[in-house]
Amino acid sequence: MNNLSIALKNPKNNFSFYALYLLSVSFVITVFFAFTSFSMNRVMLEKISGDGRVETMCSVISVFLMAFVIFYMSYSNRFFLRRRMKELGIYALLGYRKTTVLSLLTTENLLVCFIAFIAGILLGGVFHKGIVFGITRLLDLTVNNSEIPFFNIHAIAKTACFIFAIVIVLLLSNSRFLFKTSLMGLVRFEKSAERKMKFHALPAIIGFGSIIMGYILALDILRGAKSVWFTIGFSPVAMMTLVLIVLGTILFIASFLPFAVQRSKNNKRRFYTEIKIITSPNFIYRMRSNSRTLIMLTLLSAATLTVSSVMALSLYYPIAAVSRMAPSEIECRIEDESETDAVRQIVNKYSSQNNVTFLQTNIYKVTSASGQLPAEYSVGNSKGDSDNEKILRKAGFECISYSDYISLLEAQGRKKALKRMEKPGDKECILVKYQSDSYKKETGNVYSLLIGNEEIPVTVTAATLDNPISFANSVGTLIVSDNLYHTMEERLSPETKVLSINGESIKDNEALFLELSEYLNGSPYLQGNSHRIHEIFSLSSSTFLLIGFLVILFFIATGSILYFNNISAITDAKDDYEILRKMGYTDRTVKKIIKKQTITFFSIPFLLGLTDCIFATIVYKTALMQNILKESLMLYIPTFIAILLTFVIYMIYYCMTVHTCAHAVLGTNAS
Amino acid sequence: MQALLKANEVTKIYAKGQRPSLNKVSFNVSMSEFIAIMGASGSGKTTLLNVLSTIDTPTSGSIVINGVNLIQLSDTGAADFRRDHLGFIFQEYFLLDSLTIRENISVPLTLQKLPPEKIEKMVENLAQRFGIASQLDKYPGELSGGQRQRASAARAIVKQPSILFADEPTGALDSSSATELLKTLKEANEELHTTILMVTHDAYAASFANRILIFKDGSIIRELLKQDADRRTFYEAIARETARLDTER
Repeated sequence: MNNLSIALKNPKNNFSFYALYLLSVSFVITVFFAFTSFSMNRVMLEKISGDGRVETMCSVISVFLMAFVIFYMSYSNRFFLRRRMKELGIYALLGYRKTTVLSLLTTENLLVCFIAFIAGILLGGVFHKGIVFGITRLLDLTVNNSEIPFFNIHAIAKTACFIFAIVIVLLLSNSRFLFKTSLMGLVRFEKSAERKMKFHALPAIIGFGSIIMGYILALDILRGAKSVWFTIGFSPVAMMTLVLIVLGTILFIASFLPFAVQRSKNNKRRFYTEIKIITSPNFIYRMRSNSRTLIMLTLLSAATLTVSSVMALSLYYPIAAVSRMAPSEIECRIEDESETDAVRQIVNKYSSQNNVTFLQTNIYKVTSASGQLPAEYSVGNSKGDSDNEKILRKAGFECISYSDYISLLEAQGRKKALKRMEKPGDKECILVKYQSDSYKKETGNVYSLLIGNEEIPVTVTAATLDNPISFANSVGTLIVSDNLYHTMEERLSPETKVLSINGESIKDNEALFLELSEYLNGSPYLQGNSHRIHEIFSLSSSTFLLIGFLVILFFIATGSILYFNNISAITDAKDDYEILRKMGYTDRTVKKIIKKQTITFFSIPFLLGLTDCIFATIVYKTALMQNILKESLMLYIPTFIAILLTFVIYMIYYCMTVHTCAHAVLGTNAS
Repeated sequence: MQALLKANEVTKIYAKGQRPSLNKVSFNVSMSEFIAIMGASGSGKTTLLNVLSTIDTPTSGSIVINGVNLIQLSDTGAADFRRDHLGFIFQEYFLLDSLTIRENISVPLTLQKLPPEKIEKMVENLAQRFGIASQLDKYPGELSGGQRQRASAARAIVKQPSILFADEPTGALDSSSATELLKTLKEANEELHTTILMVTHDAYAASFANRILIFKDGSIIRELLKQDADRRTFYEAIARETARLDTER
């Protein structure tokens, strides 16, 4: 029998075991090939990236992707090698040289990789086409599909070279392992007794303490300016938090959990039950050799969950914030009265219906000599709009009338905002805040407004986040009574005139926006709600897509490693379950034990990863994202969806694992 | 003596057309008996043990233990019956590697939902009797083969089963460990009145029993009784009989 026939026989005889391995490797290669095809798709890259940003990102992600695929394949390869030590030992006893055994393993790896390569290219081609279709639909791009090949020759060549490199890496890893292990070691490898676990309170307490400290440090960011994140600096505190959580996770899993389970055995009433007496010691036993895998999986899960939740938040938040950045469908500054008619004409060209409203708002800039003024008063430039960063803004309140405010809100269809507002009196005003953090504290403040030569004090009766005009055209907006506004009209000339255009029929009209932009010479004061959303999608979609590749790969790897690990542990202990059945454990109870053992190993990475993700998301949201929306759980919906999706994926893997394990132990009685 | 186990015309055929592994086997076991079942490989000893212990079902015939007809038991009923009435010792010890010896011996008692204090007391007492009291907090991997088998025996006896099934319990032990274990089983039989049914091919191990059933081709071909003879004389009688059967093969 030659190597090839043995290599073919092994996966054939252990089909169910190899099936998931082959499937997961095929998936990994599918993702890799789809990614490579996408990164080599000149047609698409030209459409979505004018400045080479996506290309750079592709190169960076490609490195991560390759490193990760190699790590995953090495882990799986080592896993299967360990499971087959006895078989390899028998080959050695029969007189096979280690080089022959090595070539047998390499032939098998070549076979698996070849099948995965074929499957990966076929599926990856479809996947790539799907992505192209999705992006062109999402961004409304016109792409000639015939220019995009189903199989990109360069991508195939790159994938083939990469797979060949993987086989070489596996060959080196296997040869190192085989030549390091003696014949006795090979034969008796599976029987080697696990070392006894020692329980130390100190590392357990340090582990628990470190995690808690890390979380407290993360939460400290909510204290705002007083927080150490601001007093010491973001980077050092972030690094410190990361170290505490990683160190904490390592010690928590390796020391605290076994220590806690060992201590829990002292509660005799709970311990001496038919399930606990098996599962608690079994957990400690498995932790002896599996804590490293579990630590790796937990950190991987934390990274995956954090990346997906931050990704969801980063996409959703700017879109949600568009309602503040560009509240009107189209808004522009009128520098010259003739522009109003020209703009109207352009809009009418695109909309024959009468439901379009044109509202002109004259904004009066008023200074104040009051001691304490809100931050918006002196904001030096129009932040939040990259086109405007360099345009300096004069300090002052930008006043509009209450009637204009109401008209604008009505035109924008913001019924909820309308209900919230009380009409201000002549000595009162409503302040539009930029950031949401301190908007409630403004109420009651009195600002003395300098109108002509007269100082008129006004009291802030309410602060609002419902700005009717984009921040490009007005920051520090003060809504005053119509009477006070008339006084301003009489004594001052307007600082800016803003034309707000709203209506269903002009929504999502990029061509209209483009023509207006051309007419206004690319004015940074031209803002559009739908245009902004479209812009965010086209700027972010490629980033999310590329990170999405990594996240999918993380999921496949984490799920498969958990699957292999549990199957291995439970099938190795098949005799133990047989004894339990002989002792009088029913098949139902045995299945319950299998479920409990499996869920423990699935829930540790998921729950710890989830907790890490929650705290990381809080830090990200508080420190790295502008806080211009009112705090609401609604904002976290995409994060919840990301977590829910992760949970569903874990559940699918969990059910598959329990099913396979129960089948291996109970046979046909498993269901 | 009251019959604890009644096997009547028990037949087991694994595949159609094949020779029966058990062929109309009938015998009774009384309370507190120590029976050894002997025979060459493939004679049906282990099949008999499996059907008597509800692990396998016979093709025909009836088995009644403690008044319960095993043929009528469902899967769950069989599991409950094993939990409440049967104990097992195997050649490969089959201790649970992840549990300490104390925990291993406690498992059958937790299945019976006994209070923890009682479980601990029973385990301690039995460990003293089996000479493994100092090993209770060790894992099976840390013990010698003899100690492991004694732990396995303690686990089987601790719940005071109606009948204890032992499948080649000395097969993996050196001679002194084997003697040690057999003496312990004998003690349990005499002092705790544990009924034991032991499968063995070793005449020496069988000599600790009171009655021997010799199997060949799925049937009982011979029965030896110890009666008043001492163990050595009984051993010689068994050895002679097995030698005779070997030459007849």
